Amino acid sequence: MTVTLLLEQMFNGLQSGVTLFLIAAGLTLILGIMDFVFLAHGAQVMIGAYAAASLTALTGNFFLGILLAIPITFASGFLLEFILIRHLYRRDHMDQVLATFGLILFFNELIRIGFGPAALFSDLPKALSGFVNILPEAPYPMFRLVVILVGLVCAVGIHVLVSHTRVGAMVRAGANNETMTAALGINIRLLRRFVFAVGACFAGVAGMMIGPLTAVEPGMGEPLLILSLVVIIIGGIGSVRGAFVAAVIVGMVDTMGRVLLPVILRGFMGQAAADGAGPALASMMVYILMSLVLVFRPTGLFPPKG
Amino acid sequence: MDALRILLDGANRNRTLFVLLAGFALFPIYTGIADLPFWNDLAMRIMLLGMAAMGLNLVLGYGGMVSFGHAAFVGVGAYCVGISQYYGLYNGWIHIIMALGACGALGLVIGYLSLRTSGIYFIMITLAFAQMLFFLFVSLEQFGGDDGMSIDRAEFIIIDLWEPLRLYYLIWTALALSSILLMFIVRSRFGVVLQAIKGNESRVEAMGLAPLPFKITGYVISAMICGLAGALFASWQEYVSPDIMHWTRSGELMIIIILGGLGTLSGPLLGAVAFLLLEEILPELMHVVAPNYAENWMIIFGPILIAVVLFARGGLLGLVRQLSGGRR
Repeated sequence: MTVTLLLEQMFNGLQSGVTLFLIAAGLTLILGIMDFVFLAHGAQVMIGAYAAASLTALTGNFFLGILLAIPITFASGFLLEFILIRHLYRRDHMDQVLATFGLILFFNELIRIGFGPAALFSDLPKALSGFVNILPEAPYPMFRLVVILVGLVCAVGIHVLVSHTRVGAMVRAGANNETMTAALGINIRLLRRFVFAVGACFAGVAGMMIGPLTAVEPGMGEPLLILSLVVIIIGGIGSVRGAFVAAVIVGMVDTMGRVLLPVILRGFMGQAAADGAGPALASMMVYILMSLVLVFRPTGLFPPKG
Repeated sequence: MDALRILLDGANRNRTLFVLLAGFALFPIYTGIADLPFWNDLAMRIMLLGMAAMGLNLVLGYGGMVSFGHAAFVGVGAYCVGISQYYGLYNGWIHIIMALGACGALGLVIGYLSLRTSGIYFIMITLAFAQMLFFLFVSLEQFGGDDGMSIDRAEFIIIDLWEPLRLYYLIWTALALSSILLMFIVRSRFGVVLQAIKGNESRVEAMGLAPLPFKITGYVISAMICGLAGALFASWQEYVSPDIMHWTRSGELMIIIILGGLGTLSGPLLGAVAFLLLEEILPELMHVVAPNYAENWMIIFGPILIAVVLFARGGLLGLVRQLSGGRR
């Protein structure tokens, strides 16, 4: 276990953290502000990944593919809200669970029909496929670095959007008191559609970033959905800042656990047993973390005020 | 005699439940005549899932506690059979007692820790515990790890499970007993308090009752019913792997309950019938209508679930009630 390896894993943790944040940011607003249990948010990640992968293949240009895919993810969130979600706001949480679970099945199958059940792999453009030295003698994949950068830029963007713009003020006002906000002449219905579309857009961007790193396949969104739910709970439902902090923590714990736990376990048991148990116990870490947070801070690290 | 009166009255109030139970009791006669043994297998799966969903429904539907981790109890019940057999213990009655004990104890611990939170936080912490158990069994290489372990059907003294119909009626009996137990629980003082807590917890408190013991007791009972279903599931499937406690299985149980009718006795069983029948029928239907897309039956299944939410308030049982003019 060398310092460079440790540093590399820390960067990997950060990379997975910021991607998680992109997914969790929209979800925490949907859950916190609109009190809507939206299980199909993972599908938005998948839609983004597929849109980017297929448009890249079509245009032959990675950047153009992504540029064209972003409006598609925005539109998918917008249309989904318009067609189905707006009819479900006043319904029981359990009704929302059933309906959005139905959506997951629908979208996964739609993708399977459209693109086949096998995973898509896309090649990175030359400009992004190299290595960069983060320390002397410590090469790190360029693309992962770009993902971290894009994630951080998006995080700043979301923060500015929510905390320092007029639309953000409306969103926050709507979260605080919907009826009063509507009475002040703000179009709450449009605001909700906007939050959905922007949330879908960021989830889609996360999908585009993950796509070249892992497999783009039907159902790829669901494990991410569960992890981003964990992020939201740790961060405090409705808090974008909390989601960011929690996402980085979860990304780090998950990545470092996977690397370090087998090493630590080898001290106690045989190599084979440690290699077998290590990854499973590492996956457990995130949930243990969440339970500990909930025991000591039942409403998360950054509970929204009011 | 009092119990008998409650039973008869309950049968009258929950006709759908007793019609379903009678249907399952008579079903093997039909499959025997028509020579369709596969359908017996499906019926057993429906009954097992229905039983687990009924167990979950006690906390989810009646108690308003949305547990997103009940598949873990089904899994622990199933692993009780697998691990006992690993150590050479084949007596099915002991398996069941162990499953009930283990799930009861586990339900007590998880319930005690989780019920400090509520709402979405409760959903997620129950998921967290289930995930921990899932990964625990994945990491236990001794018991098959990820791949799981194949097991023999348990030996129930007097009842020989290799006679296929006996397993069927063992499962049926467990389902019927669980249903009747739940019927008594829901009507008891305990059950009424549990439903009152769902309605308004602070009012229950104001009446001088501490809600927590009621909630924990409900949680333990529901965990035990799921454990029983799991133990029988292991005998039915002759195999157990961590997949049985994957979070999507917990989701499936929730979906079955909401589909059938939340907080009703027959809803979960009705939901299990509909859910698994659709799983069987839709591919066949697609095969006829659009042969190229027979494997993509979920493209219909998803929208059906959404349609149930939009157009059938109270799930399928709500629909049944509407159609039959308010009767259950």
